[in-house]
Amino acid sequence: MKDLKHVWFIALKDLKIFTRDRASVFFFVVFPFLFIILFNFLLSGVGSEDERLEMHVLTREPAGGLSYQIIGTIETRDESQLGPGQPKIVWDRDYDAARQAVDDGDLAGFLAFPVDFTAALTSGKPTELEIFADAANVNVRAALNGLAGAISSQIGADRIIINASIALLVESGALAPDTESVNRAVQQMMTDIITAGASGAPETYITFRTEKVGDVEAVNPANFVIPGYLVMFVFFAAAVGSESIVRERKNNTLERLLATSVSRESILGGIFTGSIIKGLAQIIIFWGVGILAYNVDLGLSPSAVIILSFLMVIMSAAFSVMLATIARTQRAAASLAVITSLTLAPLGGCWWPSFLYPDWLQNIAKVTPHAWATTGFNKLMLFGADFSAAVPEMLALIVFTIIFGGIAIWRFRTSAT
Amino acid sequence: MVEEFVVVSDLQKSFNEHKAVDGVSFSVHKGEIFGLLGPNGAGKTTTIRMLSTVLVADGGEITIGGHSMQRESAAIRSIIGVCPQELALYDDLSALDNMVFFGRMAGMTGLEAKEQAMANLKLMGLVDRAKGKVAKFSGGMKRRINLAIALMGNPQLVFLDEPTVGIDPQSRNHIYENILGLQKKGMTILYTTHYMEEADRLCNRVAIMDGGKIIAMDTPHQLKSQIGPPEKVTLEEVFLRLTGRSLRD
Repeated sequence: MKDLKHVWFIALKDLKIFTRDRASVFFFVVFPFLFIILFNFLLSGVGSEDERLEMHVLTREPAGGLSYQIIGTIETRDESQLGPGQPKIVWDRDYDAARQAVDDGDLAGFLAFPVDFTAALTSGKPTELEIFADAANVNVRAALNGLAGAISSQIGADRIIINASIALLVESGALAPDTESVNRAVQQMMTDIITAGASGAPETYITFRTEKVGDVEAVNPANFVIPGYLVMFVFFAAAVGSESIVRERKNNTLERLLATSVSRESILGGIFTGSIIKGLAQIIIFWGVGILAYNVDLGLSPSAVIILSFLMVIMSAAFSVMLATIARTQRAAASLAVITSLTLAPLGGCWWPSFLYPDWLQNIAKVTPHAWATTGFNKLMLFGADFSAAVPEMLALIVFTIIFGGIAIWRFRTSAT
Repeated sequence: MVEEFVVVSDLQKSFNEHKAVDGVSFSVHKGEIFGLLGPNGAGKTTTIRMLSTVLVADGGEITIGGHSMQRESAAIRSIIGVCPQELALYDDLSALDNMVFFGRMAGMTGLEAKEQAMANLKLMGLVDRAKGKVAKFSGGMKRRINLAIALMGNPQLVFLDEPTVGIDPQSRNHIYENILGLQKKGMTILYTTHYMEEADRLCNRVAIMDGGKIIAMDTPHQLKSQIGPPEKVTLEEVFLRLTGRSLRD
């Protein structure tokens, strides 16, 4: 019990020293987020979902025309309901304003129904859809052409059916053969067909789906960037903390503690606990900001992400104490901390995904705890894996902790001599 | 009847081939200020480190307050205080925080530690700097804090390893007065120093070490009388007569 109190007091003392050092707080907490903001921004276009295409449609017909029903059917009312790759259809009301917007470069283009659209359709006369587009914007122009073609084909097909139906109705005497009656019947049928499409009836019996090949689609770059930098900075901060352990040894404060009732194990435990608490504070801030500010998705098993983060913290603390037992001077400890952290982080996939590496490099990376940690996070947060899939990575981090901790316990000394 | 609080018998310690302490034997009476003098590398600090439980002796016996070092080192730790030669302080903490921390490590409650820390700071004339960061203190102030920490937990025996090195006469004099005050309260003090005048003024008895051995041990008065009239001879002359005038590393 007394030993546990000593462990706690030493950990609290370390935290007190840490929190009073503004540079350390900046380095532990703020600095990593500067990296995250920067790289999240840089990677936001890499592997992310294509930008949604926006198509503007309008009609020059008087109210009540068939074009109103067609646009009303295809207009996007709730963007969140659109699937990947589906364009957003926007209904513009003012033809002149739309033209001006295209001229001004504010709008890429639009498709307009003509003034006589309904009259032409019902009377069987040809009509023309107008596409007004910025010549430089090939994508939108092509998309509007495609939309116009689809409307034209659909109406053409519907018209054939309607013509046949009208002929049957006239032949059977159910419909008067005069032009006015036929036109009214045609418009009614057209309206029924369009309204049926709008009310949810299947527009076609053939549907299609799109499968992508190539790079994995990263829905949110923060799902990769934040875990990567979490691994890097939790390890880096702990490793740099080894310098303060060496300083204590040099300052003889550790030896002074030994001359009180404190055991060597309590001193070691206190240093280790202090390092763990600092690491836990880091991961709480990382995930808190990640979820709240970057909409990070912890995947199917948030508990696995938390456990993996915790194991990363413990492993880093063990590495920190081990490093302090190896380094003879503060400068050596600081140098080793920087060198190991900046070597292991990119090798371990903290800066970019390690699954993009060639096989031989992926195999080498397995000697780093970073690679196991980032692989675990990638599995859980990018590939939708469940808890069990991350167990090998968790076990690997435990093995690293045992190795680093074992060396730390073996070599730990309180005296500079 | 004099009570022997510290008994050291045939103490040995080597680092690689070098014998730092070679068969040292002495005893310290309860309530006494005992000086351990010697040139650099004489083995004073190594002896104190063994007596304060941080270094394990290669041979010999140590008994402090009736407790054997070999069997009851934990009991010894609970009755000693150490003021090391180097400033063993947390520069980034305040004076009060340093003292409360070491007090709690010595087994005091938070309240006890705070009360005693304030009392010790008052003793050292540093109450108004209690919340000041140690890093900003002068060398003399740090020395006084170093000593004040050694007194946390009310130890029965205090090891003072050159507590006045590198400080101004005012701070040194303040420390002398405090040490004499502690003795009046019944504390036993084992003191090492390079300043012979300091040892002459403070110590009831001194042992002069050289080459890891004790080469003389008595009261300053008796040691001085060995080479002349005590009122005309200084302890430094005795020291130089015994240890020679050659330079030491």
